[in-house]
Amino acid sequence: MPTFESIQRPERWAVPFSTEMTDADVDRLLTIEPFASLDATRFRGKVTLPGILKNDTRLVRCQPGDIVVRQGDWGNSAFLVVAGNVRVELGSAASLPSEILGRQPVHRKSLFESIAQLWRNSSDPEVREIAAYRGDPRIGTRGTGEQTRIYLQDVSTVLDKYQTATIEAGQFFGESAALGRTPRSATVFAERSTELLEIRWQGLRDLMRRDDALQQHIDAVFRERALKLFLMNTPIFQHLGTTEITELTEGAKFETHGQYDWAGSFKRLAKKGIDTDLQHEPLIAEEGNHTNGVIIVRSGLARLSRRHEHGHQTTGYLTPGQIFGLDEIIDGWLGKTPKPLTHSLRAIGIANVVTIPTHLIERLLLETTGRRSLARNKAKTTDPLANQPKIDATRINSDFVEFLVENRYINGTATMLIDMDRCTRCDDCVRACASTHDNNPRFLRQGPIQNNIMVANACLHCEDPVCMIECPTGAIHRQMEGGQVVINDETCIGCSACANNCLYNAIRMVDVRHEDGDFIRDDRKHAPIAKATKCDLCSDQLGGPACQRACPHDALIRMDMRAVQQLTDWYTR
Amino acid sequence: MKTLTARRFRNSGIAIVAALLLVWLSGAMTTALRDTARQTGWILFSMICFLAAYNLRKKLPFLPLGASATWLQFHIYVGLLTAVVFGVHVGWRIPNGLVESLLATLYLFVFASGVIGLFLSRSLAKRLTTRGDEVLFERIPVYRNRLQAEVETIVFEELDEAASTAVAQFYADRLRPFFAQTRNFWQHLVQSNRSRFGLLNEMQAYRRYLNDAERETMARLVTCVEAKDDLDYQFSLQATLKYWLFVHVPLTYALLVFAILHLLLVSAYSGGIS
Ligand code: HEM
Repeated sequence: MPTFESIQRPERWAVPFSTEMTDADVDRLLTIEPFASLDATRFRGKVTLPGILKNDTRLVRCQPGDIVVRQGDWGNSAFLVVAGNVRVELGSAASLPSEILGRQPVHRKSLFESIAQLWRNSSDPEVREIAAYRGDPRIGTRGTGEQTRIYLQDVSTVLDKYQTATIEAGQFFGESAALGRTPRSATVFAERSTELLEIRWQGLRDLMRRDDALQQHIDAVFRERALKLFLMNTPIFQHLGTTEITELTEGAKFETHGQYDWAGSFKRLAKKGIDTDLQHEPLIAEEGNHTNGVIIVRSGLARLSRRHEHGHQTTGYLTPGQIFGLDEIIDGWLGKTPKPLTHSLRAIGIANVVTIPTHLIERLLLETTGRRSLARNKAKTTDPLANQPKIDATRINSDFVEFLVENRYINGTATMLIDMDRCTRCDDCVRACASTHDNNPRFLRQGPIQNNIMVANACLHCEDPVCMIECPTGAIHRQMEGGQVVINDETCIGCSACANNCLYNAIRMVDVRHEDGDFIRDDRKHAPIAKATKCDLCSDQLGGPACQRACPHDALIRMDMRAVQQLTDWYTR
Repeated sequence: MKTLTARRFRNSGIAIVAALLLVWLSGAMTTALRDTARQTGWILFSMICFLAAYNLRKKLPFLPLGASATWLQFHIYVGLLTAVVFGVHVGWRIPNGLVESLLATLYLFVFASGVIGLFLSRSLAKRLTTRGDEVLFERIPVYRNRLQAEVETIVFEELDEAASTAVAQFYADRLRPFFAQTRNFWQHLVQSNRSRFGLLNEMQAYRRYLNDAERETMARLVTCVEAKDDLDYQFSLQATLKYWLFVHVPLTYALLVFAILHLLLVSAYSGGIS
């Protein structure tokens, strides 16, 4: 049973999900299932059912082939099929190729193409081949502005070739990703003319609270589809068999702490000055209390802290897949008396956590491992990303850790760090970036500095990429291979949604040019065509990120902030 | 390599062993009455070509040619090693012919500029973080103009309000030249604060001629002077970090040209480059 942080007043309604929802739409929705049979008495106070439908939902009309969500997309909403039906790709045999979904195919330059950059690179910035925009015949787009959709041109061939399942009117989809803040697990497209109701996360949560059937349904689907897979992939459970995993799945508790729109509020907060008082961060588990299980972060980020004088000192952070409270459970089990938690755990922004009750850990993990080997090696894993959230305080100064956490830099899987004690300000990094990216560097060698380490203004390739949430065409996406967040220039419509959502101002809108240096303009309004640009970690270049490779003095590094050990080694080298 | 110090020890160790081997080998060959000049000449020329190729590596960041930092490590230690090869090659004497002495001088300048440049890169980078805000070099003139405009506004506001021209006078005599352009380049480079303290002391001393309102204005000007001095400090260090390469690189090209000339001359006299 997911529990979510309660809110007093639906402030979110100040900005409705869509301004186009009319009272007539709401009245019509109230006559269909599941809304028709919801118990109206359970909606008391400000959060009324018509209020939710008016402010937290929008109607989406799809034509045959329209892609609703793509596997790997980041989204904060779930969908209810109102009329018509959609197909979900099962992906068991073959997956829809990324090109027809409007994504950039992963293409690494050949040696010849690398060398050809010598004469092919234009001397003007942001030059594009206009033919590329005229289109890949396999990609169809329709609609304008934020309503732009990519559609599959030949639905019947797709249905023949790929394995899909039907989602009929009255059924939900997309709720697991929306509630768990994880990537969409499958691609969904409309099979025929279909009307969908898109419900944003907060609305879905409020509906679930007031409808037991909906709650149970979503809970069961989540456990079966997402939780099981997650536990199977968690290092400490990897050796367990199917029955044990099922047992864990059934016994697990999952919770969301913090705010879904943490990014928006963080941006507002950052303008006012960041709040350094940890009291305001949602507490997941408190130092000194006894633990009732091992906590595993499923998505989002969490802060480890200890009381220090009258405040709290940050001692580390947890990223998805990392665990909290295991040491105390092991110590308690070895010593036969429960041990209190040595640290507190708080959600940074938002954190989705799974708690596995102590008795299951003891029975399935500790008893099978045995006392002696546990005492010797307290279930430590060797995976550097898996289980080392604590930072060695003797090697990294706590100010630096606080700085990284407060500014959410730990969200980065490729945060650009520059050691200013070694950087000679030669700008080789900037030049290398420009020469690998349309003659326009994709980052600024500027940014806050703490303990002589600069966090430069470059895309961090976030663990929780809020930039991806509102992209209408899925042009900004995470590459399946490598995990870089990249933008498909051909399907980017220049709406700036990603740039506005990025916490770190790392996405810039640029007007693109012809080879002759003039701006490319749109056929009708003659306005320059804008595209979103950002660091793509040189995913198409041989040899990896040009910025890091170009630094003569080993000053610049793209750091995966989940690898605390690597960060520590680099910091103290 | 876990730490940079460990890397430095390892690389220096390897370079020292290579240098000793070279000296021993050429000594042994000379004892055996064999002329080593040709071999050491070719070795030196190849090393210099490799060192010069670093410039190419920097110009081709999109080719998978390895990290620039790795190149620099090789560059530094191979560069240092050239001194030994050069010494052996010229028999530890100053050469006489015109081309040869020019070539030797060029080599010594390139070598010396490299060593000095390395020292500057390591020491100035650290010092930059100790004073003033981090600024982009190209933006420094903009910040300087902005500061100058701010100071002028402060002074002119004061002139409108106060009966005396004391602050304006001080500005015209002492501050206008200070804000007009970058000052104290060399002092900043050697970490001397003489001029800064001199000017600040003068401003302090001048307070005795000012009323309360003017003193307040002077205090605001002190903040601007400190900011400008910090900006000059950044300029001086960043400019040095950039411009030393304008000695090292062009001389490298001159060195290459003369080395080729030297090669041709030598081969012409000895009957072919074999
Ligand atoms: C003796 C023959 C040498 C030659 C021909 C040579 C040539 C070069 C060239 C062509 C560059 C590339 C500059 C650029 O394109 O930006 C360079 C950079 C450099 N060299 Fe040398 N070099 C020599 C010796 C040395 C020595 C002995 C040292 C130091 C021990 C040294 C230290 C450096 C450093 C620190 C850089 C610059 C790295 C940077 O900050 O970008 N060089 N050298």
